[in-house]
Amino acid sequence: MKVIIDDKEFEAEYGEYILDVARRNGIHIPTLCHSDTVPGQGSCRLCIVEVYERGKNKVVVSCLYPITGEIKVYTNSEKIHRMRRNIIRLLAARAPGSEYIKKLKEEYGIPEETRFIVDEKEKCVLCGLCVKACEKLGSMAISTVNRGATKKVAPPFEEPPVDCIGCASCAHVCPTGAIEVRECKGKRVIWNRTFELLKCTSCGRYFITREQYEYMKNRLGIDMKELLCDRCRQKSTAEKLVSLYKKLLV
Amino acid sequence: MNGMVQVPRRTVLVCCGTGCLANNSMEIYKKLKDKAAELESGFPVIPVLKATGCNGLCERGPIIQVLPDDIFYCKVSVSDVDEIFERTILKGDVIERLLYLDASSGKRVRSFKESEFYKKQFKIALRNIGQIDPACIDDYIERGGYEALKKALFEMSPEQVISEIERSGLRGRGGAGFPTGYKWRQCSKTNDFPKYVVCNGDEGDPGAFMDRSIMEGDPHSVIEGMIIGAYAVGAEKGFIYIRDEYSLAVRNVSKAIEDAYIRGYLGRDIMGSGFSLDIEVVRGGGAFVCGESTALMASIEGRVGEPRVKYIRSTEKGLWGKPTVLNNVETWANVPVIITRGAEWFSSIGTEKSKGTKVFSLVGKVKNTGLIEVPMGMTLREIIFGIGGGIAGSGKFKAVQTGGPSGGCIPEALLDLPVDFDSLSDAGSMMGSGGMIVMDDRTCMVEVARYYLKFLSEESCGKCTPCREGIRRMLEVLEDICAGEGREEDIELLLELSETVKEASLCGLGKTAPNPVLTTIKYFKDEYLAHIKEKRCPAGVCKKLTSYRINPDLCRGCSLCAKRCPAGAISGKQGKIYEIDQGICTVCGTCREVCRFGAVEVAGRATE
Amino acid sequence: MREKPEEGILKVKSILEKYPKERRFLLAILQDIQKTYNYLPREALNEVRDYLGIPLSSLYSMATFYKALSLKPKGRYVIKVCDGTACHIRGSLDIVEEIKKQLSISPGEVTKDGKFSLETVNCLGSCALAPVMVINDKYYGNLKPAMVKDILESTGD
Repeated sequence: MKVIIDDKEFEAEYGEYILDVARRNGIHIPTLCHSDTVPGQGSCRLCIVEVYERGKNKVVVSCLYPITGEIKVYTNSEKIHRMRRNIIRLLAARAPGSEYIKKLKEEYGIPEETRFIVDEKEKCVLCGLCVKACEKLGSMAISTVNRGATKKVAPPFEEPPVDCIGCASCAHVCPTGAIEVRECKGKRVIWNRTFELLKCTSCGRYFITREQYEYMKNRLGIDMKELLCDRCRQKSTAEKLVSLYKKLLV
Repeated sequence: MNGMVQVPRRTVLVCCGTGCLANNSMEIYKKLKDKAAELESGFPVIPVLKATGCNGLCERGPIIQVLPDDIFYCKVSVSDVDEIFERTILKGDVIERLLYLDASSGKRVRSFKESEFYKKQFKIALRNIGQIDPACIDDYIERGGYEALKKALFEMSPEQVISEIERSGLRGRGGAGFPTGYKWRQCSKTNDFPKYVVCNGDEGDPGAFMDRSIMEGDPHSVIEGMIIGAYAVGAEKGFIYIRDEYSLAVRNVSKAIEDAYIRGYLGRDIMGSGFSLDIEVVRGGGAFVCGESTALMASIEGRVGEPRVKYIRSTEKGLWGKPTVLNNVETWANVPVIITRGAEWFSSIGTEKSKGTKVFSLVGKVKNTGLIEVPMGMTLREIIFGIGGGIAGSGKFKAVQTGGPSGGCIPEALLDLPVDFDSLSDAGSMMGSGGMIVMDDRTCMVEVARYYLKFLSEESCGKCTPCREGIRRMLEVLEDICAGEGREEDIELLLELSETVKEASLCGLGKTAPNPVLTTIKYFKDEYLAHIKEKRCPAGVCKKLTSYRINPDLCRGCSLCAKRCPAGAISGKQGKIYEIDQGICTVCGTCREVCRFGAVEVAGRATE
Repeated sequence: MREKPEEGILKVKSILEKYPKERRFLLAILQDIQKTYNYLPREALNEVRDYLGIPLSSLYSMATFYKALSLKPKGRYVIKVCDGTACHIRGSLDIVEEIKKQLSISPGEVTKDGKFSLETVNCLGSCALAPVMVINDKYYGNLKPAMVKDILESTGD
């Protein structure tokens, strides 16, 4: 079906989200809480757009608004631009410590905050991606805590989380670099818990926590005869293929 | 029977709603019951005692009604019980001093129905409350209860039920006023099973207790409505989500469900119709956001009450992703009456677009505070000055707040506004669930806006940016203004943030959160300016911007203020003019409250 | 937990047994535990985790989200001062101030002897009696700051 975005016509499938269609066609809509691996939260509201449908217009989040009829979309109308600027201002007042947010702020020409009280060190914008990622991987070691203005992400009782396997997926998925991971001398520290790291049997580099290894072996049933880091695993797969080809060619 | 002479009965209804209970009505009920039990047989009258739900006139509780004589007693105390029993119950005498005193005419009124408070009301949702014992299913049946269910199950098809509700024009009583029949039709069209019906009893608006009273006082009306709705849409399971703080409501609804099962109105093959339904009570966890439908459903599922993005309606994907009809307590309670009396009758009440009646909790600085039900379209003036009897005390009317934290403050100039869904929205407020809080000139409108934002900043689930961060920052600004730290550009900033919070928030909580701020800026901008520019709180509420002075021309030197001042800040001699020491004064306002000559005046911030 | 740990766990077990092992009963279970102990003891949360198979993080999230649940023990007498709109405009905060003065605790805190804890709540639905407070299940309406001292003193074990 057809959809008009910023006065241009595009093809969309029934039920497809506006954001996906826009991105496919090179139209940039900023996002924070959207990730291809854990989509569909609609919490940061940065991706708002204006939709005209059946004579009505409304503001929706493009990451979750399904195209089911003839609609016109404006991704950067004056109103959207104004509100997006306000959202970025609010995010920047919340998490002034994040480089990513600083960049967004510059991009939208938002002046230094002088009206609100800010915590310079804060980096988290509470998009919730870390919690979703942890849930998806199955350890569910962290969650959102409290509600309203005091909401935050934390492990149970704000102690080193017992269910954490130290995989650091939360940190990887975080758009604002708010989750600290430190690695040194065969140890990884995340959420104030220290994990022992295991070495790659091929290159000798530390790359996985013992808990993560056990989890993959026991819970996911992944064959872990050789303990290979990603790089070495790719290399080894390539080598195996090469030898296979050689055999076939002979 | 057996040729025996029928002994006349006298029914005594003791109000045991929360308001009256707080004033010891249970003890009155027990004492009357004991006295009745002691009565030897062969007495000319049999007293029948009933503990009922809330009568509405909580202000004058505890309340007792005696039928069939139709005698209405207010502010009854335990020490009155003997006299009431001997004179009124046994003999039918009226005890003049306990009768209701009409605020405007100053006359005592014998029957509740003749009181100014009751006369203009029209009861549909509250039809049985105060008249029946909510724990007794037979009381409900005696007043026509479960007749509508029989009619629906045996004389109507589900389609006919839906079209009856559609034609009645019933709109959801929980807030936004979504057409109930349309919602039911959407759900019935969906071919996905199981389906659910849910009753939203998580009444959380501060200053509102309509749903509480219905669940406590007439739980079967809600249950019957739900069974009819479930039959119409094809649901086989229902949930009643009740705020946990409402322990009496939880108890009464649970008991009513149990009794409905025993009588065969719930469970398998209801009354042999082949239709089955189970209903369960779910206790809320204390989160205002759970009044939002998708958050409420998450809570029923045993999760944190965060709403989800709702581009697909709950009637398609609701509880556990299945089609769900969610209506509020009052909406469900209206359903049986519409089925019994018909859509034409119902739609003849109210205005063109808002049919039927609406229950309000009329509270704040008004004489007759309590629970009322009026036809849609009655003006605010008729409600506040007619039924409510006007402003309590010596204050002057300033505003009425409707719709709770999602609503707004309506000024005196709009008092002739008819109360219906659309008029209130047009004025920038909303119907909401029915809280109506009257404010006088001693209420600071900036502080009221601050109050609601504080409430919302704590009650926001915190999921989406505009609501969590926007409300928090708006609150920061308002706190500054109330503390005398406001800046000239703050009003602009509040308006700009309001737009973003209103338009970009995920759920209804955020989308309506700026209303209290927007309406107070719109109608009471001068108060904002007084705070910001003159560093003065005209109502004398914001302590940092208020000092009290004794006007020497008005002071009669009675010394009352000095005696009552908790800080000992007032000095003077009897017969002479008194003075307040600004260094000691804590601005508690006691002096202003007690002065009989209006000599204590509000001034701006005390000069350092 | 105030009683011996084994007895404590027994009570949790009897609460759990009343409910099928389904997630939708989580809130009800937590509320029952809260009612029994006046808070959610950690050991009890561990039992719930094992029974329903729900991770601790979710339980912690629930416990901090819903106001009816608390992770810290409350006083034997819980004072709830209503700060609903009707109470607010009739001076509920003056009542809170007076209680703070009398007991030296702020909302959310417990007195040293564990007797009282103070909370402000949004609306008790008794607006006609504003301002209102409830101590355990007893309502006090039409309050004035001067009445607070007597009420607190007459509340005894």
